[in-house]
Amino acid sequence: MNSPIAEPVNWQPETLDKLLVDNVSGGQFEVSRDIYRDPELFELELKHVFESSWVFLAHETQIPEPHDYLNIHIGRQPVIVMRDQAGDLRAFLNTCPHKGALVCQNESGNKKFHVCPYHGWTFDSAGNNILVKDEAQGHYGQNFHNRGHGLEQVARLESYRGFLFGSLNADVEPLRDYLDGIHVFLDMIVDQSAEGAEVIPGRSYYTFDANWKMQLENCVDAYHLTSTHPSFMTITASRAAGGSEFRNIDIAEFVSADTAAGNYTFRNGHNAIWIDGPPEVKPLYAQYDELCERVGKVKADLMMKTVNFTVFPNLQFSVNACIQMRVMKPLQVNKTEMRSFCVGPKGEAKAQRQQRIHQFEDFFNPTGLATPDDSRVYESVQNGLGARSAATAGQGHDRGISNVIDGPDEYARQLQINPVTSSSGTSELQDETVFHASYRELIRRMRDGVEKESSHAK
Amino acid sequence: MQNEQALKIGTDILHRQGRMLDEQRWDDWLGLFTEACEYWVPAWTSETRLTQDPDSEVSLIYYDLRSRLADRVWRVGSGQSVANDPMPRTCHFVSNIDVDECSDSRIKLFACFRVDYHVNKQSFAFFGHYHYQLVPADEGKNWLIDKKKVIIMNDYIPTMMDFYLV
Repeated sequence: MNSPIAEPVNWQPETLDKLLVDNVSGGQFEVSRDIYRDPELFELELKHVFESSWVFLAHETQIPEPHDYLNIHIGRQPVIVMRDQAGDLRAFLNTCPHKGALVCQNESGNKKFHVCPYHGWTFDSAGNNILVKDEAQGHYGQNFHNRGHGLEQVARLESYRGFLFGSLNADVEPLRDYLDGIHVFLDMIVDQSAEGAEVIPGRSYYTFDANWKMQLENCVDAYHLTSTHPSFMTITASRAAGGSEFRNIDIAEFVSADTAAGNYTFRNGHNAIWIDGPPEVKPLYAQYDELCERVGKVKADLMMKTVNFTVFPNLQFSVNACIQMRVMKPLQVNKTEMRSFCVGPKGEAKAQRQQRIHQFEDFFNPTGLATPDDSRVYESVQNGLGARSAATAGQGHDRGISNVIDGPDEYARQLQINPVTSSSGTSELQDETVFHASYRELIRRMRDGVEKESSHAK
Repeated sequence: MQNEQALKIGTDILHRQGRMLDEQRWDDWLGLFTEACEYWVPAWTSETRLTQDPDSEVSLIYYDLRSRLADRVWRVGSGQSVANDPMPRTCHFVSNIDVDECSDSRIKLFACFRVDYHVNKQSFAFFGHYHYQLVPADEGKNWLIDKKKVIIMNDYIPTMMDFYLV
């Protein structure tokens, strides 16, 4: 059998190909551990994954009013997302064309004009330059006058039902096509209310000292729940036994011979897992009948399940008792910034919103009862991967390999999606083939990017 | 109730609290709170705005019962949480204690805090402001914490934050 290469230098298409041994029908899927620890590969990821195609930017409800803005990054590049005077959404590189200073310094806010703090060049909320300070007296040459002085637009900006994505590369497929079947899971969030979904104010930003793909995997990793979160399991069990009104998801339900579960992978690296569960702990359960009527029973039932999914590469949702939206921002090969938001259906009743918020804080906050255990585990993995004498590929992508099928399973047909792979059974399976799509896509993009660059160089 | 007396009561309870947390005397620490205590660490929504309403906005931590705090205390000592293994070593510093309001039935306090901690060969700190409400217990012999509000200034959180780090 082949095995992924150990320590290549100067990544070329051929060496990048060897990062992955992809032979699922032969029972083998191995990823080189270098992709979590090699700084050169990290640079290639930023360039060819984050800065060359669609990435999630923000939810529209984070900037609801004209002139509202939000500062974020695409890969490493500072970006301002804002609404212009008419309320239309726009995205620009947050850098003054003059000397490069950030034209907007704050995380978020509302401003009709952005004035560069260095030499006073001024931009409106549509990105137009409306002032080059003392231009008339400047004895500029024709070249300067020929150039535009506005903010540089992010090449593509599209919204899928309130979720805003941008691409620094104009040559990408339309967002709806890019999303492939994962859009059904975004729909599942949006359609929980006839009015749509909103980001609830109060965010947390945190970092962990590990590669961003630890998070990429963990969100759809059912296998870790009982071993990483036993303290949370015990607390939820004791609350349930004590009849506490403060209930949350019961992880014990996640690994059971009686609970149905499955997962799907899609084109472009997206994936989703679902696990059946008791719907009563969900704030949304009160609306079940109304939901069946409005979106149909199949979609209403999906909303009652635990569903975790990835919109590759930087957006993830955990939908259990409540809805968490997390955005990943790789900082270094071994350091990642996370932004975590609680999402809820607009117009939700006060008591349900309150329950949702406190369930969210309880489980998902970096100050809660579960996420700190995940983040520490990522750091443990990153440190453990210092063992370079160990096998170059891990054994972490094998569960379910003899169960996964190409194409849709029965439940996918009910959901009217056409996944690349499906895997279903009981929740005891705790499948790991769900990760495969993201690695295939990651390595394909790095390989294609490097190949394109080398052909241009020739 | 004179201001000086309230300051003495407040200073005493805040100093004791810091020491109990540093010495990991969790049950003693829980004993400083009333059963129906509110423990609130609001989140920031921007550089300048804190969340105002724990029931319609997301806090970093919010509980309105001591039993919820007890859940957290249990978790830390349970041996079932990798985030608490190894336990960070902590030093709680409290200063600038100011009495905002005092009567025989209630004391409101402001204070500044800094908690330095060390874990996995790295040192970190959280710092910010405290707002406390104390109420008398045992016929006035003791005072207990009825409300604790912690405003974290450095909310870009390195990996995790828990009750013993603020």
